[in-house]
Amino acid sequence: MLKNTSLFLASMLALHSAEAADPPIAPIPAIPRFVEETDIAGFQSRFEGQDEYMVGGGVATFDCDNDGLAEIYVTGGVNKAKFYRNRSARGGPIKLLEERSGLELTNATGAYPLDIDGDGNADLVVLRVGEVEVFRGLGACKFERANAKWNIPNNNDWHTAFSATWEKGQNWPTLAFGTYYDRSKPDFPWGTCTPSILLRPDVSGKKFAAPEFLKPGYCALSMLFTDWNRSGEQSLRVSNDREYYKDGQEQLWRVSPGQPAAQYNETDGWKRLQIWGMGIASHDVDGDGYPEVFLTSMADNKFQKLEGGASKPTFIDQAYKRGITAHRPYVGGDIHPSTAWHAQFSDLNNDGMTDLFVVKGNVSTMPDFATLDPNNLLLQQADGRFAEVGQQAGVASFRRGRGGMLADLNGDGLLDMLVVNRWDRAQLWRNLGAGTPDKPQAMGHWLQLRLKQNSGNRDAVGAWVEVDMGGKITRQELTIGGGHASGHLGWMHFGLGDVKEAKVRIQWPGAGWGPWQAVQADKFYTFDKESGVIAWRAP
Amino acid sequence: MKKSAWHLSNQSAQVWMRRALRGCFQVPCVFLALATSVYLPSVQAQTPVVAKPASAYSSGVVYDWYFLALQLIQQTPGFSPPVASRALGYMGLTLYEAVVPGMPGYQSLAGQLNELSSLPWAQPDEPLHWPTVANASLATMTRMMFSNATAENKARIDLLERSLPLKYTQDFDPNVVTPEITNRSETFGKLMGMAIMTWARTDGGHEAWGPIRRSRANYVPPSGTGKWSATPPAFAPPLLPYWGENRPFVMKTAADCPAPPPPEYSEETNSAFYKDGLEVYKISTAATQEQRQFALYWADDAGKTPTPAGHWVYIANDILKARKANLATAAETFARLNIAMSDAFVAAWYTKYKLNVVRPVTYGQVVIDSNWVPSLIPTPPFPDYPSGHSVQSAAASMVLDRTFGADTAFTDNAHNDRGWGPRTFKNFKTAADEAAISRLYAGIHYRFAIEGGKPQGQCVAAKVLALKFKP
Repeated sequence: MLKNTSLFLASMLALHSAEAADPPIAPIPAIPRFVEETDIAGFQSRFEGQDEYMVGGGVATFDCDNDGLAEIYVTGGVNKAKFYRNRSARGGPIKLLEERSGLELTNATGAYPLDIDGDGNADLVVLRVGEVEVFRGLGACKFERANAKWNIPNNNDWHTAFSATWEKGQNWPTLAFGTYYDRSKPDFPWGTCTPSILLRPDVSGKKFAAPEFLKPGYCALSMLFTDWNRSGEQSLRVSNDREYYKDGQEQLWRVSPGQPAAQYNETDGWKRLQIWGMGIASHDVDGDGYPEVFLTSMADNKFQKLEGGASKPTFIDQAYKRGITAHRPYVGGDIHPSTAWHAQFSDLNNDGMTDLFVVKGNVSTMPDFATLDPNNLLLQQADGRFAEVGQQAGVASFRRGRGGMLADLNGDGLLDMLVVNRWDRAQLWRNLGAGTPDKPQAMGHWLQLRLKQNSGNRDAVGAWVEVDMGGKITRQELTIGGGHASGHLGWMHFGLGDVKEAKVRIQWPGAGWGPWQAVQADKFYTFDKESGVIAWRAP
Repeated sequence: MKKSAWHLSNQSAQVWMRRALRGCFQVPCVFLALATSVYLPSVQAQTPVVAKPASAYSSGVVYDWYFLALQLIQQTPGFSPPVASRALGYMGLTLYEAVVPGMPGYQSLAGQLNELSSLPWAQPDEPLHWPTVANASLATMTRMMFSNATAENKARIDLLERSLPLKYTQDFDPNVVTPEITNRSETFGKLMGMAIMTWARTDGGHEAWGPIRRSRANYVPPSGTGKWSATPPAFAPPLLPYWGENRPFVMKTAADCPAPPPPEYSEETNSAFYKDGLEVYKISTAATQEQRQFALYWADDAGKTPTPAGHWVYIANDILKARKANLATAAETFARLNIAMSDAFVAAWYTKYKLNVVRPVTYGQVVIDSNWVPSLIPTPPFPDYPSGHSVQSAAASMVLDRTFGADTAFTDNAHNDRGWGPRTFKNFKTAADEAAISRLYAGIHYRFAIEGGKPQGQCVAAKVLALKFKP
């Protein structure tokens, strides 16, 4: 007996020693430090409202005065939405100045900038409880309402999601609007989800045709046109809230020129998934050339990777494998499940690997979900897993988060952070890198690019950009939509790590790859399809 | 020990354990457990909890929750037999889905049930305590299903949730179940309850009754020869006329399990319809003492009893307790049984309101004896064909046959409190047949409605039994 036990223990020891052969756990990457500058920046906005404002709470960033710094448009629910001109000194504290711009309105829940009419000025789509408002940019950060001129339908639904693409051969975009449940049935909203809406340019090419309804609608809270299989054509991914739909699911719509939009189904390879879908982030995280998708939910977040190849939209969930389930607060002691909203992939520490930012917050006062629900900052490690550093980075806000945005607000190459909170003040953090508020310090090299082409799709929405960092390639798709009610138009940001010289190539919408072109780190470039690469300097 | 140090040592130990246990096919697991206790003493306090599947715990929690649910059915306004079967169906599914991550070799039913594609899944790295998960999930679902319970009964729900960990100390040993695991398990149980409730709200049944009936137009019964009309003595409006349009759990639609066509309506004395109508009249007026007892025993009226579906739950609950069934077995049993009974009511109601067959009391008064009223039980306010008792009893007995064995003798204690029990039955089919024919003795169903309901219930059961609980 003793002999047998000894033999067995020996075998156990051998088994255990085999553990030593396992790959070591990757060290946590360098953690960027943030300082909240909501007050000193002059950023004063609260997202207020009762039931019809439980979702939404978006923020948009875009440069409308061509100084290279993004302005901010922040929604306020029943409060007035506000426009802030960015007056930050480069590399310094963030300074915002509220201005009248023509964008002032109430009942706004989300905002996405894009250049609809191709005149070089950013326009703005504002989602509302009630009629959507589309504003035409006039230049110098002035806007005018364009609903009538552009034939935007007067629809009194509850608008909750937006995305846009340029279909092949079109100078004007195709706009997709997601809606929530029937506003006339607040007492029993279940099963009353209203359909999403597709607006395509009419034959004149200067306004939109009659709307096409994407039926069935399943209470969309985020949508994103993305080229999931690199076919050159973006499809519409819609994330839906299972709380209110009947027989609903996540959706992917094929939107092909001249054809009615068609939903991918099981025979195409689509796998049904039901979550409390709230936000979409898309990025080629694993470098396989196809975008992965992070879907936010109530403790049921998904990280979907294409497993069916380019021919089949079949996705598998790798949230656990990647360490980004983000299903529970990581600090604060609240053990209830999290509620996740805005999500965004970006390189926060400029180490050349994309990170994940997730905004969290209780719907209202739901007792079974976390009240102290900090936003997530998940840094990607060398092994492809992500490590939570929100607390160490200084961004673990416990407010009731909704929309958000990562954007370089002071032109220092480090992405700063905006968060809109329900029933509370919106917040703004400056990314200090490895430094202090007085002395920010870069953590790694970076590169920021804007794409330009002459007409129509001026910002080259749908383009893919590859950056070669000495053999390691990272890539991004230029999209409009996704997140939670929050959009960005402007610089594309790439962290480069310790690489000082990189190569960039562009796959322009509807075209093949352009040539590799050399660029220097820590600079801004405009890639003009017609004129080539132009180093951009701040005025 | 400080959290960080413990966490690291425990984490690596758990990794080692997982890897070691994966090798169970090569090395007897009992040896592994022994070696672990010798080799990794620091893990001993935590690992046994996290490694225990749902089958390692008793079904005590489940027993108590169903015991309470059956009382709530009896005491909560609106819980007619179809509504009760629905509540029990969702309770059964919720429990199973909550603990299935702790049932190795089993899988979620999401993807097999209508309009339910996926459900939250427990995180693989977060150990859960399955009795706590079961307690929280059933508490959550009970609260939501019985949202219009009296204040006193709501307090009983809260009390039961809090008291079960104290009652079943062998399952809730505070020395091994840490507060963190308890919290996490409660959270997962609640999350599952909420996810299933979001699905339940869209089945059509959630809005079909009681204080939240909103979206349906008023129902106007069709008129014509042989069609149902309101029955004495109350002449109440038809009950739940749209219940057959509810989304079933397993049947694609209620029409998937039709009952065979009833005899053509006729008042001719040589017709099949007349023959069965006359039989009801005669038996009702001259029922034996035993027949009258059967009629009362299986009446299972709303507001007085846990209803027919609750009666079968009572039987199953007793059998599970007598057999000292574990949590996993109870979860699987109630998922199958309760889903089958809920779908059976949907199928029966669909046929009832599609055919609108006149009740025997109306037929008897029109054709046979204008003064006749069945004396034992008032005729329920909905069409005759098929007998709901027959449909759901056939479904329940077929599921229980498969679960416990077709020759299982059992004692039924459901009506002990009323002085009618206990009663013993040699098998489930005998009980189901008695429940079905009791409606003829009560004077409220034709024989053809009783016989026609059985294949419908068996069809429902067959579909439920075809669910893949294991991959």
